[in-house]
Parts: sequence; C-alpha cells; structure tokens
Amino acid sequence: MNTKLGLYRKEKIYGFLFILPPLLGLLIFTLYPMIYSIYGSFTDWDGLGQMNFIGLGNFKDLWSDELFHKALFNTLFMMLGIPIGITLALLLALGLNRGVPGTTAFRVIYYVPVISSLAAVSIMWNWAYNGDYGLVNQFLDLFGISGPNWMANKYTVKPALIIMAVWKGLGYTMLLYLAALQSVSRSYYEAAELDGASGFKSFWHITWPMVRPVTFFIIVTNIIGGSQIFTEMNIMTPTGGPEYASASVVFYIWQKAFGNFQMGYASAMAVFLGVFIFVVTLIQFRMNEKQSFDVD
Amino acid sequence: MLKKKGWFTLLSLVLMVSVVLTGCGGKNNASSGGNSGSEATANAGSKDSKETKNLTFMFRGGTDEQKAYEGVVKKYEADHPNVKVKIVVTAADQYATKLKASITGNSVPDVFYFESGDLKAYVNSGVLLDLTSYVEKNPNIDLNNIWKYGVDLYRYDGTMAGQGNLYGMPKDVGPFALGYNKTMFEAAGIPLPDKDKPYTWDEFIKVAQQLTIDKDGDGKLDQFGAGFNVQWALPSFVWSNGADWLDATKTKVTIDDPKFIEALQFFTDMQLKYGITPSTEQAQTLDTYQRWMKGEMAFFPVGPWDMSTYEKLPFDYDLIPYPAGSTGKSATWTGSLGIGASAKTKHPDEAVDLINYLTASKEGMEALVKAKVQIPNLMDMAKEWAADTTTKPANKEEFLQVVNEYGRVLPGHYTYNAEWYNLFYTDIQPVLDGKVTPEEYVKTEQPKMQKLLDKAVEQEAKSKK
Repeated sequence: MNTKLGLYRKEKIYGFLFILPPLLGLLIFTLYPMIYSIYGSFTDWDGLGQMNFIGLGNFKDLWSDELFHKALFNTLFMMLGIPIGITLALLLALGLNRGVPGTTAFRVIYYVPVISSLAAVSIMWNWAYNGDYGLVNQFLDLFGISGPNWMANKYTVKPALIIMAVWKGLGYTMLLYLAALQSVSRSYYEAAELDGASGFKSFWHITWPMVRPVTFFIIVTNIIGGSQIFTEMNIMTPTGGPEYASASVVFYIWQKAFGNFQMGYASAMAVFLGVFIFVVTLIQFRMNEKQSFDVD
Repeated sequence: MLKKKGWFTLLSLVLMVSVVLTGCGGKNNASSGGNSGSEATANAGSKDSKETKNLTFMFRGGTDEQKAYEGVVKKYEADHPNVKVKIVVTAADQYATKLKASITGNSVPDVFYFESGDLKAYVNSGVLLDLTSYVEKNPNIDLNNIWKYGVDLYRYDGTMAGQGNLYGMPKDVGPFALGYNKTMFEAAGIPLPDKDKPYTWDEFIKVAQQLTIDKDGDGKLDQFGAGFNVQWALPSFVWSNGADWLDATKTKVTIDDPKFIEALQFFTDMQLKYGITPSTEQAQTLDTYQRWMKGEMAFFPVGPWDMSTYEKLPFDYDLIPYPAGSTGKSATWTGSLGIGASAKTKHPDEAVDLINYLTASKEGMEALVKAKVQIPNLMDMAKEWAADTTTKPANKEEFLQVVNEYGRVLPGHYTYNAEWYNLFYTDIQPVLDGKVTPEEYVKTEQPKMQKLLDKAVEQEAKSKK
C-alpha cells in the first residue's frame, strides 16, 4: 500500500514537472500581462511613468471617441470577408473533392498564400493596388475600366483589404473543408440518389449539415482573428488610411499606446476588445448548441 | 486522502519553483551588484582598465544609413578596445514601437535614437540621461560649432523645450530643401530659378505650368510641374504665408486663421485649379518620387538623405528656396533625430562618449558625410562641404541656409504628443480631392484638434508630478 502510494506520488511529481514549463509560460506571458493590462485600463498610465488610478475614466472616453467608433466599425465591416471566404472555400473544396485532374497542384496553389508571411503579402498587394502601375488596375484596364487608387480612397480601401484577406485565408479554410468532405460517408449520397435527390438537395441536406462542425470552427476562429486584424493596415495604410477608413481597433490601440503615450487608454480598448470577443464567442457556442439540438 | 496529497504536492511544487526563481533573482542581483562595485573601483583606479564594457546602441534608417552607422560604430570600437557596442537596428516604421516597448519593459538600450517630439515625455519620466555635465566637461566638444537649431531641439528646462539642460545630441539636421530638374529647364529654354531669391507663388505656378506637358500627345500628362506630399510640404506653404498650426503658447490650434486657409487653398489649387501636380488618383507619394527620379517632374523636395540615391539620376538637379507666400520669405521643415542615453545605463561615461563620437567628433562625422546620408553636424566642416560645387547638388549651400535661416520644426514637436497634429492629415483627403473647401475643413477640424491638444497639455501637466 505504502509503496504503491509512493509510486503514485512520484508519477504525479513527474507529471507536474512536465506541465510546468507551459504552465509557467502561460502565467508569465499570458496571465500576468492580461491582469496588468486590465489594471492599466483603470489608470492614466502613459507607458513610461507612474500610474494614477482614474476608475472608469478611460471607458467613458471610449464612449465618445469618434476615431474609436470608426475603428470599431471598420473592424466589423471587414468581417464581411468571412462569409465570402467560407463560400468560396467550400465551393473550391467541393470542386477539388470531385477529383479534378491536378488536384494536388491546386491545393498547393491555394495554400501558398497561407504560409506566406503576412508582411510580405501586404507589401505585394500594396503594389498590386497601386493606382497607376498596379496589377489590379492594369487588369481592369483590359476591360476598359479605369480603376481607382485603391489604398487612397476611403470607399475602396476596405473592400481592397477584404479581398486580400479572403485570398490569404482561402487555402486554409478550403483544406479544412476538404478534410471534412472526405470524412462524409459515401453511403449517404448513395441513399439520397436512390431517393432521387438532386445535386443541390443532397448538398443541402447531407453535405452542409455534415460539415457544420467545421463551419462553426471556421466562423469562431475567423471572428476572433478578424477582431485582431492589424498587420495588413499597419503596412498598407500606415496612417490609418484616408479619413481613418482602414484603421482597425488593434491599429488604434497600437497608435495610442506607442505613438501617443496613452498606454492606459490603449489598455482600456484592449480590455473592451477582449470582452467583445469573449461575448461573441460565447453567443456562437450557445447558438451552436441550440442548432445541433434542432437538427437532431 | 489522495486528493489532499495531490494538492500538497502541487503546493510544494509551486513553493519550490518560486524559491528557485527568487533564488536566481537574488543571485543575479548579488552578482550584478558585485559587478558594478568592481567597475566603480576600476573606474576610480585606472581609466584604461582592460575590462570590457558593453553598450547597446539602437537606431533606425535606410540601408545606406544603416551601413554608414555600422561602419562608424566599428571604427569607434577599434579606437576604444575596452568598449563593445551591440547594435540593434530596425526599419524606420517599427522603430518607435520597439523603443517604447523596451522602455515600458524596463530594458532601455544604453544609447538610442529618439524623436525630438518625445523629449518632454522621456525627460519627465526619467528615461533620458542628462548629458549637460558630460558634454560640458568634454574638451573635444565645441557646442558652438554644432547647429544651434539641432542642439536646441534636445534642450528642456522642465517647462519649455528648446532651453535648459541637454538630453540628447542631434544625430543630424535634415533640411528639406526644394530641388529642381535643371536639365528640364534648359531643354524647355526657361531661365533657371534664382538660388537666392525665392519665386512668388504666382511665378512658381507660371513656371510650373510651362513645364506641365503632354509630350506624346496621347491626352495624358507625362511631365508635371511639381509633386508635393501634403504632410511634408504643406508646412512650407503655411509658414511662408505667416500662419501656423499652433499659437505662441503652444496651447491653441490656429488652423482657422485666414492666412492658413489661404495657404491650404493654394496648396489644393496647385492640383485642382492649375493642374501642375499629379492628382491623387495619379499619385501616391511613391509615384511622385518615381516621376521625379525618371525626370518627369520639374520641382521636388530634396533632403540630404536623398543625396546618395540622387547621385545616379539621369539629369542634373539643384536646390533653390521654396516659393514664398505673403511674408515674402521661404520656409520649410527641417527634421532631426536625437541620440540620447538611458538614465539607467551602467556606463554613462562610455555611452555619452559614443554619442559624442557619432554626433560631434570629426572622425565620426567625416565617415557619415562620406556615405552621403547627411549633412555635417559640425559647422566648419559643413561650410567646407557646401563649398565643393563639383558634386551634386551644386548649391548644397541651400541646405545650410535652411538650417540657419528658414528651417522649422513640425508643430507636433512642441506638444506632449502629436496626436492632434496627425489628425489634420488623417482627415485631409477630401480637401485635396476638392470635395471639401479648405475653409469648411479648418472650421470642422479645429475643435477636434483642439480637444486632442487639450488632452495632451493635461497629460503633460500630469507627467511632471
């Protein structure tokens, strides 16, 4: 009995030792900064000197901060890319799943943007969007359309960024769908065919519900990622774009914290964003639970 | 029972880890304490002790500039065998983030570049070392031989910037002069501009219009009079018209001044009314720069940092003063970056020594000027340099005149942060496109900018406590 317990204890200690490094990492690099920034959001800290507690002052300022509202709107607006990306990726995956010749080559082609550095991709698209010499406008020229100066126009800058984001994320989403499609058992389709279901019907009643867990996963991760969009605008429109039309919330946080000595205020925005993401994700999980109940 | 034991194990583990961690911390402290102790004695004993002193130098710049500064630092190390300098270099647009993050994280580099506009914030919160005594007691430095404009940018007496103790040395001064394509003027048979008498605005428009041509007759302009980036060129027009963004107390935004409106109107008219500059559709900054480089633009601003690139231009160019508004006098922006030392550096003597080498020593300056990335900081050297008219641009004297006579610092320099000033450019696109008149613009923008300025003033007051 005793020896058994001792053995048990030893294993436990080893176990704890093994999880210790990631646990410490989590505490030091995630939990501590998180708590620190929550505390910072209640102060007027400038990032250099002392922190004075000012209660909810920063959050009150957020309420009437026009640029913050703009940045928030921009961030939400750019999430329009999510449904577009999902639709395109699913169509592509359906196509590739049929075993078109050269499937592997296509998979690679669509996956290349995913593994490319976001900074490099941003610089490349910045050239493509150049009003005078850009590839996009040269292409439009072929059809007699004279394209706008994409990044310098407040109406085109957001769509331009969305197109780029969709292009960048397509391969990843497509790959997930492809995996999901391949795990759907053939027998369902065969049964549906016997019942005389059309292509679209079998898609709607078999494929779409069967890949729903993947769709759910993609939507959740994309919304979280979309809320934190930053690098693209930082490189492509370093001042926040014409009339701040391409600034995201994280971009604004970054400007306040590192450009204007308002670390406390920036922390308040970060906390707001964190809560926002948490709530939205929570709602999505709730909705997902309900839906699965309905379907069953 | 087991559960309890589990908790006990976990607790003891946490305890153990924390003991180990604090133990390490303690050791570190002890050893670093020992180090500084021995350094102190070494310093007191003999200056030329063989102990290596490590400095970190963080800076930014284009490729040519990086190479030049790395070279000078190597030279410094060769002259000072007991000092090792670790270089941290970033691209210009990431520099501010990196510096501020390292300040927040309490690991400030020993020697680093900083913007003159951030001076107050850094001094008030004790980031920057006061260089005054070090510079004064150094017999090799003659502050009178360095641009007063540049040195004064890094003085601060606790209330006003520009006077008092010295917290940085100018890395250089960056007079943003106006260049013109000499070859183009000669080809068009237009008399060359006078290098001592600025054009009036009307004269400037007339000349520029003559040089705005559709050469191949395809209905598209392929040669322009000028190309101005609003952010860097508008101040010249505003100032030379006797207006400014701020009043003398630096607490009131004055963009609704009629003289200001007139200047902004003139700036937009260059495109919308006279058509001498590429439209926004035709031009992002990069494009006007490319057009100038291809010889398709008559006037274009030139900074000293451009000289190495412009050497290879396929045409001859030279410098002139900016066209003058109602004051009859030219004005332009003159940039500068400071080099400062951390207030917490372990080796203040060596840190300041390195700063001086980079900014005020003959050897250091000669190497940097040779690389054509800046004008000399030392005035006697600059005069000699400008007198050499065999290298491009011939009228380098103009750069010196800008620094001595008509160059100014951007308004954001005077305030705790430049947020209020940046907003002006964030919203300006519709004005440049002719959708909003300058008059309407300044009326709606002034209160917004004032609000941000008030906040900056308030923040500054707080930071002094």
